[in-house]
Amino acid sequence: MYRYDEFDAQIVRERAAQFRGQVERRLSGDITEDQFKPLRLMNGVYLQLHAYMLRIAIPYGTLRGEQMRKFAHIARKYDKGYGHWTTRQNIQFNWVALKDIPDVLDELAEVEMHAIQTSGNCIRNTTSDQFAGATAEEIEDPRPWCEIIRQWSTFHPEFSFLPRKFKIAVTAAENDRAAIRVHDIGLHMRRNDAGETGFEVIVGGGQGRTPHVGVTIKPFVAKDQLLDYLEAVMRVYNRFGRRDNKYKARIKILVSETGAEEFTRLVDEEFEAQRDAEKIVLPQAEVDRITQYFAPPAFEDLPDTSDVLEAAKAKDDAFARWVRVNVRPHKQAGYGIVTISCKPIGAPPGDVTDTQMDVTADLAERYSLDEIRITHEQNMVLPHVKLDDLFDLYQELDSAGLATANYELISDIICCPGLDYCNLANARSIPVAQDLQNTFADLERQDDIGELKIKISGCINACGHHHVGHIGILGVDRKGEEFYQITFGGRADEKAAIGQIAGPGLRAEDVPSALERVIETYREVRSSKDERFIDALERVGHDPFKEALYAAG
Amino acid sequence: MPLVKNGEVTANPHGEVLTLEPFLEIAAADPKDAVIVRLMPDDCPLQLEPFIEQLEVVEISFPRYADGRGYSQAQLLRRRLGYKGEIRAVGDVLRDQLLFMLRSGFDAFELGREDAAQAFAAASREYSHFYQPAADGESGVFARRHS
Amino acid sequence: MTSVRPKLKADIPKVITAWDVATGATVYQTADRNWSENIADAEVVVGEAADAALEAAQGDELRILDPYVMEVTADGEVTGRETLRETIRATGPTTHTEFHKAARGVVDA
Repeated sequence: MYRYDEFDAQIVRERAAQFRGQVERRLSGDITEDQFKPLRLMNGVYLQLHAYMLRIAIPYGTLRGEQMRKFAHIARKYDKGYGHWTTRQNIQFNWVALKDIPDVLDELAEVEMHAIQTSGNCIRNTTSDQFAGATAEEIEDPRPWCEIIRQWSTFHPEFSFLPRKFKIAVTAAENDRAAIRVHDIGLHMRRNDAGETGFEVIVGGGQGRTPHVGVTIKPFVAKDQLLDYLEAVMRVYNRFGRRDNKYKARIKILVSETGAEEFTRLVDEEFEAQRDAEKIVLPQAEVDRITQYFAPPAFEDLPDTSDVLEAAKAKDDAFARWVRVNVRPHKQAGYGIVTISCKPIGAPPGDVTDTQMDVTADLAERYSLDEIRITHEQNMVLPHVKLDDLFDLYQELDSAGLATANYELISDIICCPGLDYCNLANARSIPVAQDLQNTFADLERQDDIGELKIKISGCINACGHHHVGHIGILGVDRKGEEFYQITFGGRADEKAAIGQIAGPGLRAEDVPSALERVIETYREVRSSKDERFIDALERVGHDPFKEALYAAG
Repeated sequence: MPLVKNGEVTANPHGEVLTLEPFLEIAAADPKDAVIVRLMPDDCPLQLEPFIEQLEVVEISFPRYADGRGYSQAQLLRRRLGYKGEIRAVGDVLRDQLLFMLRSGFDAFELGREDAAQAFAAASREYSHFYQPAADGESGVFARRHS
Repeated sequence: MTSVRPKLKADIPKVITAWDVATGATVYQTADRNWSENIADAEVVVGEAADAALEAAQGDELRILDPYVMEVTADGEVTGRETLRETIRATGPTTHTEFHKAARGVVDA
């Protein structure tokens, strides 16, 4: 994992001091709310329904035990004893007082963390594959480049007042777990014919009220040109992105209105015009320095299989199920990647208590070489667990309420905070998720249904990623009443697609039974248990599922 | 409105400053008068290239502080065109933007507040290091770590 | 970004609501132009009195932010198109009832 040097540490300390001054100026009346608002937004401080909300960056979703323990402490001391994982691998605290936030930032700086650029019209936290550095699927660990992008984009003098927010995601695995095609810029690490690794550059994806799947504008950008190429994209966007209408200000609108070809031409022209004096100086020694922090940890030499694991699975069915559902293959023999579900049946998706955070910190230190990941699907991951240790780990997770065996199953729902917390929401989303979880609580049944991604947003801004849910649910307000619009066929992976609206919205109480009928239809039409919902939907078309959705008598 | 230059409040002598189009017309007719111009956010600064040696002041206008096009204009002037004269930020210029402006190549600021010089001084010292190279000549932390 | 609230006709009874600057708590304007976390303490205003109350709130930036008018009955009960939103603001999230204002003794259960 990356560790701060004196430069990083000082920048973060100075940021905390700067924000302390800004908060003091606001509280003393030296600046107005209008002047303060962009400043607090650049520090992740939003105003929500009940309180301020503080969003803290977890760069590319990677953290260590000490940092998780700090979150637990912040939850206890400054919040109401819990935090919420966001759909961009960050954490939000829902009840923090403004007067306390400078202290929170100081505490975060102690463990090399911050809230810089977690909101505002700037380049946000760079996200990545939660299995990076652990999966055999990737061509190399993308996180050194995420860290390089983090540093390059931090307080970027030219790109801090963009037309709108800007999100970058990076993956190096064919199986895209980072939703890069629905980001402003998606970077997919590729190998060229010469065997060098570089980046496929995908631009103009996004969700919100006009969802778009991004388009590839450059199949391969060499590593040593990446930042200069990103600068070219950003400058074209900063200069030509729309500023007359905030709903048309994202880069996806510029790309679609300009046309992908013309947009690419503009970027290439800008890139070619860069003089030497404009290039980002990124010495190879610096790339090497950062990369070295992500060198594989000290894995033990272990056999492929574990007798301890097999014996435990044979004895304990629930454990065997959890291993089957929540543990994925590791690139290192004898290890596994463990997803810790933060979607226990009936609880708000993505919420974790201070105690659970403390437990996870301890377990990461003991069983996962002190590494934790946060996923955009609002779960946690212990990336490097010995197969021999899985049973011990499972038992401890289970006693902390963290061993739900539902990774990628129907109850592993992405869900935004909705009208229970959010100032922008039109309808609640958490209760809908809870009702669905309760309806499909039976793990046997979930297992039979197989991979199915339900994603719920409480308004068209789509923080709950409903556009890319296999089944998407969008809450809308109709004359003061909550209704829920269902979409089918969205996906956020390497075959990214925007879901299609099935028809009129449903009342909250009708959503679970309607989806039960949809699931029944899926079980009837699937060619075998191995055909996933999304594959069956693609094969037979949406009609039978729409019919089922509205089949209530 | 106070003008801060080199950290000090100085007289702000400008009268009517021409915007880009009339400037280009006059400059084409009589280049020796082409010494000061005001860019609006959607102007392309590269159009100033023929006059870059003789220009003394380029005003970059911020009708709203949130409109960040002026930062790209300044960077292009300094780094692409090698412009050496004054770049003056005018309009909705806030204390907490000054550092971004300084780094983007601005060196004069119309600041609508009594304590303009103190505000400028405080804002410009808030950070000791910056990651990326920019138009202020700072090489950036990436390079400094290895120098 | 602050969400835009619906416009309310002059003759509709209203309460001025906002957030406390230092803590972010939802607050309601009282008859003496102070602020209470308890909506039951709020002053119900109509017509020009409501305009004046909102104007006073807008000038109270040292204590509160983003004030706006919300619809209530003549008795001060939350009503109208935004009943759900304003009930949630006044009482707490429907999903974490342990965080309700009532649980903290700020309002009656």
